[in-house]
Amino acid sequence: MFSFILRRLGLLLPTFFGITLITFGLIRLIPGDPVEVMVGERTLDPQMHADAMHRLGLDKPIYLQYVDYLHNLATGHLGESLVTKDSVWKEFTTLFPATLELAVMAMLFAAVFGLLAGVIAAIKRGSIFDHGVMGLALTGFSMPIFWWGLILIMFFSVKLGWTPVSGRLDLAFDIAPRTGFMLIDAWLAEAADPSLNAGAFKDALKHLILPAIVLGTIPLAVIARMTRSSMLEVLREDYVRTARAKGLSPARVIFIHTLRNAMIPVLTVMGLQVGTLMGGAVLTETIFSWPGIGKWLIDAISRRDYPVVQNGILMVATLVILVNFIVDILYGIANPRIRHAK
Amino acid sequence: MSLLQIKNLSVEFGSDKNPFRAVEGLDLTVDQGEIVGIVGESGSGKSVTMMAMMGLLEGQGRIVADQLEFDGKNLLTISARERRKIVGKDISMIFQDPMTALNPSFTVGYQIMEVLKLHQGLRGAALKARALELMEMVEIPAAASRLSAYPHQLSGGMSQRVAIAMAIACNPKLLIADEPTTALDVTIQAQIMELLVSLQQSQNMALILITHDLAVVAEVAQRLAVMYAGQVAEMGKVPDIFRHPTHPYTEALLKSIPEHSKGAHRLSTLPGIVPGQYDRPSGCLLSPRCPYVQERCRAERPALTPLPQGAVRCHFPLYDKESR
Amino acid sequence: MANVQASPVATAADEVALSYPSPLKEFWQGFSHNKGAVAGLIFMIAIAVSALLAPWLAPYNPIEQYRDAILAPPAWMDGGTSRFLFGTDELGRDLLSRLIHGARLSLLIGLTSVVMAMVPGVILGLIAAFFPKVLGSLIMRLMDIMMALPALLLAVAIVAILGPGLINTMIAIAIVALPAYVRLTRASAMTELNRDYVTASRVAGAGLLRLMFVCVLPNCMAPLIVHATMSFSSAILEAAALGFLGLGVQPPTPEWGTMLASARDYIERAWWVVTLPGVTILLSVLAINLMGDGLRDALDPKLKRAA
Repeated sequence: MFSFILRRLGLLLPTFFGITLITFGLIRLIPGDPVEVMVGERTLDPQMHADAMHRLGLDKPIYLQYVDYLHNLATGHLGESLVTKDSVWKEFTTLFPATLELAVMAMLFAAVFGLLAGVIAAIKRGSIFDHGVMGLALTGFSMPIFWWGLILIMFFSVKLGWTPVSGRLDLAFDIAPRTGFMLIDAWLAEAADPSLNAGAFKDALKHLILPAIVLGTIPLAVIARMTRSSMLEVLREDYVRTARAKGLSPARVIFIHTLRNAMIPVLTVMGLQVGTLMGGAVLTETIFSWPGIGKWLIDAISRRDYPVVQNGILMVATLVILVNFIVDILYGIANPRIRHAK
Repeated sequence: MSLLQIKNLSVEFGSDKNPFRAVEGLDLTVDQGEIVGIVGESGSGKSVTMMAMMGLLEGQGRIVADQLEFDGKNLLTISARERRKIVGKDISMIFQDPMTALNPSFTVGYQIMEVLKLHQGLRGAALKARALELMEMVEIPAAASRLSAYPHQLSGGMSQRVAIAMAIACNPKLLIADEPTTALDVTIQAQIMELLVSLQQSQNMALILITHDLAVVAEVAQRLAVMYAGQVAEMGKVPDIFRHPTHPYTEALLKSIPEHSKGAHRLSTLPGIVPGQYDRPSGCLLSPRCPYVQERCRAERPALTPLPQGAVRCHFPLYDKESR
Repeated sequence: MANVQASPVATAADEVALSYPSPLKEFWQGFSHNKGAVAGLIFMIAIAVSALLAPWLAPYNPIEQYRDAILAPPAWMDGGTSRFLFGTDELGRDLLSRLIHGARLSLLIGLTSVVMAMVPGVILGLIAAFFPKVLGSLIMRLMDIMMALPALLLAVAIVAILGPGLINTMIAIAIVALPAYVRLTRASAMTELNRDYVTASRVAGAGLLRLMFVCVLPNCMAPLIVHATMSFSSAILEAAALGFLGLGVQPPTPEWGTMLASARDYIERAWWVVTLPGVTILLSVLAINLMGDGLRDALDPKLKRAA
């Protein structure tokens, strides 16, 4: 198992360096003067311009600039935002829990309902339920989620008034960020001071539910489709017949003997959905004014805050490859044939 | 009374408009401690019959029978829950391809112990001891360490031994072996057959041996049913059938065994294949392939006729040659 | 020993087997078997026709502002007029005309970016398959890196560099779609390379280009066509998403996603401004995906059996 993890780790590093190359090149591909791009000011004075070039290391050969960039990354210097002057790392770590909370809830929603729908559709193959679920799954897969978000807001927030339109928590509550996860923070605050913060947890949940559904829609559809086809494939396997010939209950045959094996491709697909989630977070956070990484990046792009764009993308990409790495490891645990492959 | 009694069993697949009878009017009895062979080409309905009896067709096939009784219990009216108490315990089955019959995600030990937990309620040390004992009964070397092996780490022969261990775990009264050696190497085939027969004797189980290999049946079975296109063509005691086959199909099968065609220049074969869903002849199902075919055979389907030594489904059985 | 005649059944079967359907007919039989795929095809033909004939079909100029009819509801609503069938937007522009003209842009972006991704993708994939050692693994590592970035984020980053606009949207979407084509082509070319017919052509002295494009590529086309359909639909979605974020096609050009960018402000007042462009996107993408499922059933016998 240990050597299996090491082998996967060996594949991870080149990918990471490749991404640093892309984010490094990103800034240099922007048309226009590099100082203007980096500092965000129009320095007209040639002397100041030359100073800035030197200060930023832009007068060095390009490969040395890349080495500098890597060195800065290794020592944790991700640069500063041109707008807020805060360090990019600090902004990232402040905003990231909001995105993580949203993404985890979306994935939970997608995984629970996707697996359930896929398994039932496979068992009831050819039934009305099966056709209905697969039709809905293809619709979900085809969904422009930014529009889906607007429609849900229009219906549940504006028309029915069930959920708030935007943000993470009602302004009436003043809750100190402790974990960064609003559900947990609100729950802690409510427990600590029930009179002041009554209903904070419920309010946080109400804020979270629509964005999570919107963000989870495409993963839900993908997981449902994949689960169904994978289940159908495994249900035809000889060992499922063996399990039934043992006199095991249908539930045990489905959930232990079939689902365990059908999960292997589903897990891979779930891992790939993490990328979709991060892309979707950009849209979802924009619609719901959710203060997370996605909205941060879009705002940075519209403000031409290039250090944030550059290293924000690096952080997100690193995150995605890390999650895929973890999925790979889980895959190995779920599938003994892979783990033992030399 | 017989352990297993099947009367007039039919299994139908496909839609109501376009049905396909995989098994038609099948009769079979198996007594306690007896070995019965079922022989036929692929697609002749051997496996489907057994799967129908065990409830493994999962609603895909429609099962009709006058009688389907095991150990005094009516398998036709029994609830699914009650059936599962019998299946895997009193009736168990081993399958053709051991490499795909075991679940790749679980260890061999887990898969054996699963049966013991379910049907015998064994737990803890007793469970482990019994699993080990079973592994030793099926002559798996280094049994203790193999309990934690995954199926992909075992050879085909080893896997089939594990499958047998799983099947005999609860001392079944009836073991169904569906082509248990077909997917194995020739040298392993003999070992597995030997193991099956010795277990059958020591456990006093009844054994139904499904095979397309008459030679295997000749060695071990007491009685034999020859199936063709979902019907029993002939049944009787093994020595009788081997000495005097009464059905042309049985005769053709016997002629295709090398040991039986001594002196012949070439091994005999029966041309053509078992008729499928759409090309069933209106007369005797064998009529397109039968060397002795007559006008009546093409027009009229024969019924299974009892004989002193068994039964045969033929208008012109081979014992009264003068009627031809 | 019994001497038996050849069975009459066998000869009858041979005769039946002689009349194979033509590949095109066989494909259509497989495709038309899938009702959803046919429905998708009909819908897409309708969209394509309205895109081609947009100037004649659309009742108004899509960027003409009718100041007297700002946010006019659709004709069937209270206060709606038959003048504007689907109502007007916040600047008094006719929604139906904008949607019809928007079909042109969406199809244009979809088609162009599919071609722009597929051609280099197939060439790179073939190179990676034919030279697996150095060049191949270099290409594949590069594709791995591109795939590590979430598709929409990569597109956003590219547009952030190049600036918003129609051409840059197409380029961004094509770059995002490229790695999947390379991987797919390489994978199917690798399996084909091991087949005997390739060895036979090699022995017969076929040149590298002939091997690549005449010998191997046609046999990799089935999965590529299916994937092209799917990437066509995701191109439309991504273009709309970029437009929604204000990074795609710029107003007043009537692009479906761009039309939704300002729609958030009218959630409470004018549902049609919010709903109609989105429904159009959803239905188009759904139609293409339905077609994709049908194509896969008809073209890929392996997947057909699994389905």
